[in-house]
Amino acid sequence: MVSITIRSLSKRFGDTVALDSVSLTIEPGEMFFLLGPSGCGKTTLLRHIAGFYTPDAGKVLFDARDVTFVPAHKRNTAMMFQSYALWPHMSVAQNVAFGLEQRKADPENIERRVGEALDMVRLRKQANRKINQLSGGQQQRVALARALVVRPDCLLLDEPLSNLDARLRLDMRTEIRRICKEFGLTTVYVTHDQKEALAIADRLAILDEGKVVQGGTPRQIYRFPFSTRVASFLGETNMIRGVIESEVGTDKLWAVKTDFGQFWGRLTEKNWEPTKGDRVTVCVRPEAMRLADYAGARNTISGKLNHYMYLGDTAQTVLSGAEGQEIRVTELHPTGRAPDSDTELFASSAPEDTLILRR
Amino acid sequence: MNSLITRLRSLPPASVVTFAVAGFLFLIFFVYPIGITLKEAFFGPDNTFTLEFVSMVFLDPLYLEGLINALKMAIFSTALAVAIALPLALIADRFIFPGKAILSSLVLIPLILPPFVGAIGVRHLLGKEGSFNTILESIGLVNAASPIDWLGAGGLAGVVVMNALHLYPIIFLNVTAALANLDPAMDEAAQNLGCTTWKRIIKITLPLIMPGVFAGCTIVFIWSFTELGVPLMFDYTRVTSVQIFHGLKDISGNPFPYALVTVMLASTILMYIVSKLLFGRSNFAVSGRASMAAAPKHLPRAQSFACTAAFSLVTFLAVLPHLGVVFVAFAGDWYNSVLPSEIGFSNFAEALGNEVTLSSIGNSITYAVLATIIAGIVGVAIAYIVVRTNIPGREALDAMAMLPLAVPGLVLAFGYLAMTREGQTFDFLVFPEAASQSNTGFLRLLGRMLGSIFSKVMDDGNPIVILVIAYAVRRLPYVVRSAAAGFQQTSVSLEEAARNLGASPWTAIRKITLPLIAANIIAGCLLAFSFAMLEVSDSLILAQQREHFPITKAIYSLFTSLGNGDQLAASLGTWAMLFLGITIVGAGILLGRKLGGLFRL
Repeated sequence: MVSITIRSLSKRFGDTVALDSVSLTIEPGEMFFLLGPSGCGKTTLLRHIAGFYTPDAGKVLFDARDVTFVPAHKRNTAMMFQSYALWPHMSVAQNVAFGLEQRKADPENIERRVGEALDMVRLRKQANRKINQLSGGQQQRVALARALVVRPDCLLLDEPLSNLDARLRLDMRTEIRRICKEFGLTTVYVTHDQKEALAIADRLAILDEGKVVQGGTPRQIYRFPFSTRVASFLGETNMIRGVIESEVGTDKLWAVKTDFGQFWGRLTEKNWEPTKGDRVTVCVRPEAMRLADYAGARNTISGKLNHYMYLGDTAQTVLSGAEGQEIRVTELHPTGRAPDSDTELFASSAPEDTLILRR
Repeated sequence: MNSLITRLRSLPPASVVTFAVAGFLFLIFFVYPIGITLKEAFFGPDNTFTLEFVSMVFLDPLYLEGLINALKMAIFSTALAVAIALPLALIADRFIFPGKAILSSLVLIPLILPPFVGAIGVRHLLGKEGSFNTILESIGLVNAASPIDWLGAGGLAGVVVMNALHLYPIIFLNVTAALANLDPAMDEAAQNLGCTTWKRIIKITLPLIMPGVFAGCTIVFIWSFTELGVPLMFDYTRVTSVQIFHGLKDISGNPFPYALVTVMLASTILMYIVSKLLFGRSNFAVSGRASMAAAPKHLPRAQSFACTAAFSLVTFLAVLPHLGVVFVAFAGDWYNSVLPSEIGFSNFAEALGNEVTLSSIGNSITYAVLATIIAGIVGVAIAYIVVRTNIPGREALDAMAMLPLAVPGLVLAFGYLAMTREGQTFDFLVFPEAASQSNTGFLRLLGRMLGSIFSKVMDDGNPIVILVIAYAVRRLPYVVRSAAAGFQQTSVSLEEAARNLGASPWTAIRKITLPLIAANIIAGCLLAFSFAMLEVSDSLILAQQREHFPITKAIYSLFTSLGNGDQLAASLGTWAMLFLGITIVGAGILLGRKLGGLFRL
């Protein structure tokens, strides 16, 4: 178990800034996710940890050891590639044994550990198969076994589930978490699938245009995004523009004036003391809104029904507000019938679920 | 400054060193020989610049005639090759006919058969006492007393036929590639608007594939413009390449061979530029890839068999010269008869008993094996750098490695001869003994040192070092291309995965990448080997003494000797073709259908 520290890491490719002074600390044994839209720099950061790239500036530390210029083969990380990168000219067992051979393990030891690793991913029977005789899910498990069998200091996963179908993805993500926790591995996991990240991450960092825009536990980031970009990248959100009026009450709530009337909400950004007239965006998650038959005193949006989508576990009602703005309301376990079209609808949110973000 | 250091630090040092070494070798064995030729052509004895020698080439009636003949040779050969290849390519693209798969591979065979050897066969088939005349005489079309010389015009016709039959596959490959990139919808659109088949070919297809046709034509044109072996075998002496060859005997103090080579190189470069200017930009045929694959049509029975017949006939004609060679080799006597009157192995026995043939086979194998090893190592290293690293200037390295394909072999061979003459900087490569005692010249100290080392293992005049280098440089492109293709098809992450698991970069290449692209490398090396075995220009020019002759020079020397020399030459040629056949079949099996890609521009 090692901790991984990234210090002001920067990397350019030609004119493109891939990483812009990224700093992060990943605790020993932690399952850490790098999440972001494609091209945000998350894979580049992972490859710096693996040692395939050297930065233009900044450092990578494993515990206190500076590994910035240590070549990839001397880092004792184990990476699972998006394409799996299994060697087609070797059998399953040979693929898994490769890392142990490089570590000069004795043959008996290699055989035993390869066997154990294949048991762990339930592929012992396929040990002598060639890679192209395996299904996608089996290949994914070989890649995992090959990475884990060397008992790496940390496990690096580059979108490991993106080539699998939806059902298998669900099974494998819990499986990966179980194995990582069992081995006590420090794991860095790159994905653009927010559900995957929310489901199994201990902590995660959102990257955008080469910068870390927010880090924290899934709950912190989902509930209290620092910016509208984070809010809209992670899950759905309703955004209403407004200006700050005043602080209200004692719960650090603030009142915001919008086209839909007054909203009370809370600040997510630390060290920010708003003043009257500051331009802000009010963000409310669709599932934090409730449909009502009447207008409340505040935190209420009125509008005509735009459309209604029944999705089984949830139902989404979309209202068209005064300025043509669409507001989404998600209802869990929908049992009632769809609202009539052209009826006036009201949607409201509790002040503690209403976020005020700087514009 | 800081970023430069981190930049350098992030480059793999082994690759940087390889890059530097490859660039250095390129300077010495590619730029320098051409440079020294240019220097001798443009600078007089007192080291003053002069255009006198080059302009003399155009003023001297003999040299001018040589250039005009070379142009004739190139134009006619190219035209004939297009006439053969274009219809075949169109047929292959559009129709399905019996035996299509095998025939469209067989039709490529001539490319790998040595035309230099085939020339012996053509002389027996088309000569005054040859088979063709005998057939015509027997049916009364030709008077036996005054037979027609089908080789005509001092051998020009024979040279042209041999060149065209050798080179048409290059055009065939380029045209079929252009046709494959053509969107069939363009043709269908014309058909939909009421255009007939023939009009569509002329108005739609041909204009669109012109870039492909001309790309092929440029190669064929330059190849036949500078061809040495074939005109030599046909005694077609009044052509620039042969004039250069005969001028070799007295190149010290005689600037004209240098001037001839310079003119030849300049014309070649001019042709490339012209073809790029004319057809480089209007490359619409490959601009958009086909939205759907072309669907070849089935033909009525008679027509489809006509297609089969056309392909078979062309292949047969192209192989005929070499069949002729085999007959000559087996023949006891072959004059005024369709087929040899006696068949036997006496020529083979005699050829194997001849000291020149035996040593030449051994020499060629030695030269070719060494050259293949060098080309293999350097070629794979270059391909790796070009495909897998981000060293600045790697594109230049790639272009550099491909250049030997574009520069005529004759020019390079001449440059090597010039740079290793006694008293020149690199004379220690051929004359180590003399070099170790010489005292003049640039870099003499180094030359003396290396000369005394080399002289321990070889005698003066042994061309092994320079021949191996020449073979390796000329065959490098084949290895680079096929290895680069292998690297491109093999995902980098396979190598990264190995490094991630603790394999050093070199181990990762050795255990993962090299085994995966072994087929490509072996195929490239086999091609390099077989072409080195039958190389003409370097062999004829650089091997001076009998005991050092490679196969091709031995064939030439036997052929020009009296008695049954041509039959001995033919049996040696048959051996050589057998060798070639085995290696090419091996390469074909390893590389599959990608073999053709090596001959495309």
